[in-house]
Amino acid sequence: MSCERRDGREGLEGTRFGVALLGVLALMFGAATSPASAQGIAQRGFVDAGGVLFFQQAPNDSARLVGDLIAPEELFFKPAPWVQFAAGFAGRANSHEQVEHSWRLDIRDRGALRPALSARRLTATFTHGPLTVDIGKQFIRWGKADIVTPTDRFAPQDFVNVIDTEFLAVTAARASVQWRNESFDGVWVPFFTPSRTPLLNQRWSVVPAGAEGIALFDASGPLPKGSQAGVRWGHIAGRYEFSLSYFDGFNHLPNISITPGPSPFVVGIAKTYPELKAYGFDVAVPTAWLTLKAEAAYATSTTPNSDNYVLYVVQLERQAREWMFVGGYAGEAVTARRALFTFAPDRGLTRSIVGRASYTIDANKSAAAETAVRQNGEGAYLKGEYSQARGRHWRATATGALIRGHPDDFLGQYRLNSHVTVSLRYSF
Amino acid sequence: MNEDIEATKARSPRRTLEVVVLLAFVFFGSSWHDVVHAADDPKQIVMEAQKRTDVKSQRYEGLLQVFDAKGKVSDKRWTLDRIGAHGDSKMVLRFTAPAEVKGVALLVVNHRDRASDQWMWTPGIERDRRIALQDRSTRFFGTDFSFEDMEERDVDQFDYTLLGDDTVEGVACWKIRSTPKQSKSSQYTRAVLWIRKDNYSIVRIDSYIKDQAVRRLVYSEFVNIVGVWTARSLQMSDLRRGTHTRLTLDKLQYNVTMKDEDFTLQALRRQ
Repeated sequence: MSCERRDGREGLEGTRFGVALLGVLALMFGAATSPASAQGIAQRGFVDAGGVLFFQQAPNDSARLVGDLIAPEELFFKPAPWVQFAAGFAGRANSHEQVEHSWRLDIRDRGALRPALSARRLTATFTHGPLTVDIGKQFIRWGKADIVTPTDRFAPQDFVNVIDTEFLAVTAARASVQWRNESFDGVWVPFFTPSRTPLLNQRWSVVPAGAEGIALFDASGPLPKGSQAGVRWGHIAGRYEFSLSYFDGFNHLPNISITPGPSPFVVGIAKTYPELKAYGFDVAVPTAWLTLKAEAAYATSTTPNSDNYVLYVVQLERQAREWMFVGGYAGEAVTARRALFTFAPDRGLTRSIVGRASYTIDANKSAAAETAVRQNGEGAYLKGEYSQARGRHWRATATGALIRGHPDDFLGQYRLNSHVTVSLRYSF
Repeated sequence: MNEDIEATKARSPRRTLEVVVLLAFVFFGSSWHDVVHAADDPKQIVMEAQKRTDVKSQRYEGLLQVFDAKGKVSDKRWTLDRIGAHGDSKMVLRFTAPAEVKGVALLVVNHRDRASDQWMWTPGIERDRRIALQDRSTRFFGTDFSFEDMEERDVDQFDYTLLGDDTVEGVACWKIRSTPKQSKSSQYTRAVLWIRKDNYSIVRIDSYIKDQAVRRLVYSEFVNIVGVWTARSLQMSDLRRGTHTRLTLDKLQYNVTMKDEDFTLQALRRQ
């Protein structure tokens, strides 16, 4: 496995790449402003401002109030029936040093901090008959389950807040064919995009008891260099649909190793992203009473100190009038245990019973509750949400999250991070 | 365009015709000629209403106005493309407003012999979700329509009873009860349809769960577009909640050139 360096050069190259892409996009959308093509343009965006109040201080993070602002905008341009261009950008600010200070356009979005200005999507889509080809930065979601998605291997996430995540796009070429009830999906990703892990000096990076005075620094090496690929076959029938998938690439969630620092009170945290092959299966069976969804993947790795394991999830959905219920069990079977430490929220949520209930009060109001409880009872979280729209553009959302458990448990380790969030969104 | 419709009718004598719920109800109008009366046979009346609205495709922009019990209004807009014959059609509905639901799309694949397959695309999470049969009684995006109301139904999946004659806004109508056959899965126990005698347009449907009328759909503002009498305004009332939703159709076109491959899950995620 070869590697590429994650240093200042990537930022420079990313900026050059971004300028070039922006030039292309400017030409593209400039051309689109002619009256003849104006009908092929669509956009959507919003500005979301919010604040998070944590009930307790964390040993490594005394901040209890964090403000966040995000403003994404997406443009779609279809100059001809067979081609479509999509571009999405986001501006971001944060009161707690979670966002870079630089205003460079971050195309790759692979840094430790969230970029102040990023390209979330830059895609050209070509269609010819049943064939669709997407080239560029895009979101690729595989799988059918919601609780844990073991086959969703091209979907790194931003875990700066571990229980309130967002997906990151990957740069890829994707070819899809749908012919009658069969669909085939082939994906090639030229370079790796990792999930963004919690910041080392903030509360979602938990410092073990007794080590509160130790400073952590990022001792990670370069990101893996090399392409990733995957194929997926899906079949849709009247009473069920299923998919088989194969992924060959890298785990976007890292193994963690600890390296000594320059003094006894400074410790390096090194993230490495193991090679991964994953064989996946997902199925959805709608019945008269509920929908059964199941998803599983067997993940193997040739990288030393990496586990081989099976992740699986079985969930049931039931929608009744204005209620929606989702509940299920996520499990894991480790076939070769070799890793000492990992940051793996997908595996961390296994051996858990997870449930979500939502209620649509009316056209503008909704409420939801979500919970995950480890089967050994050593970790749990409960999240409640109320959301209300006003007029055509405004929506306010209030969320409360309660986290409890044992310090050694994946969920329990965040027991000091219970919080409430209030956000106000203007969509346009 | 008229020639196209007539040619289609001539080429495709239908063995099975369909009762069309909600969106396809806009087809329930008729041409003003070639009336085949079977006034005492309710199934023939429904079939004739169907026959007069047979088109190859349909496109429109819809304005949904949801009125809550206090009279407060919220708007939603969508575009709809539909291809294929009644009961064997495919439909893509894409929201264009308000901004927070822009891009949300619904694919409906109708079948003659069973309930439709439906998938919803949510751009915010970049995923499609199959709408299960049991979910179809759910309100469609907070409107007074349910997901089941978005699909077309085959006429052979129902039994019909002529309840007699009635008038709706001074126009003579047949009043017909349709009851799902045992093989049919539906939230509704039965429905009562009012069909105009002069042009075979459906003007009202009351849907029942057991003995309670739960939804009422009223058609108005009929216009003749390429020979098809079409209601430009549909009002669905949720009789239990005391709310209603009005759907107004704009820029309605029939027999637009469309491709089958634009009605797939792949096409759904093309924003």
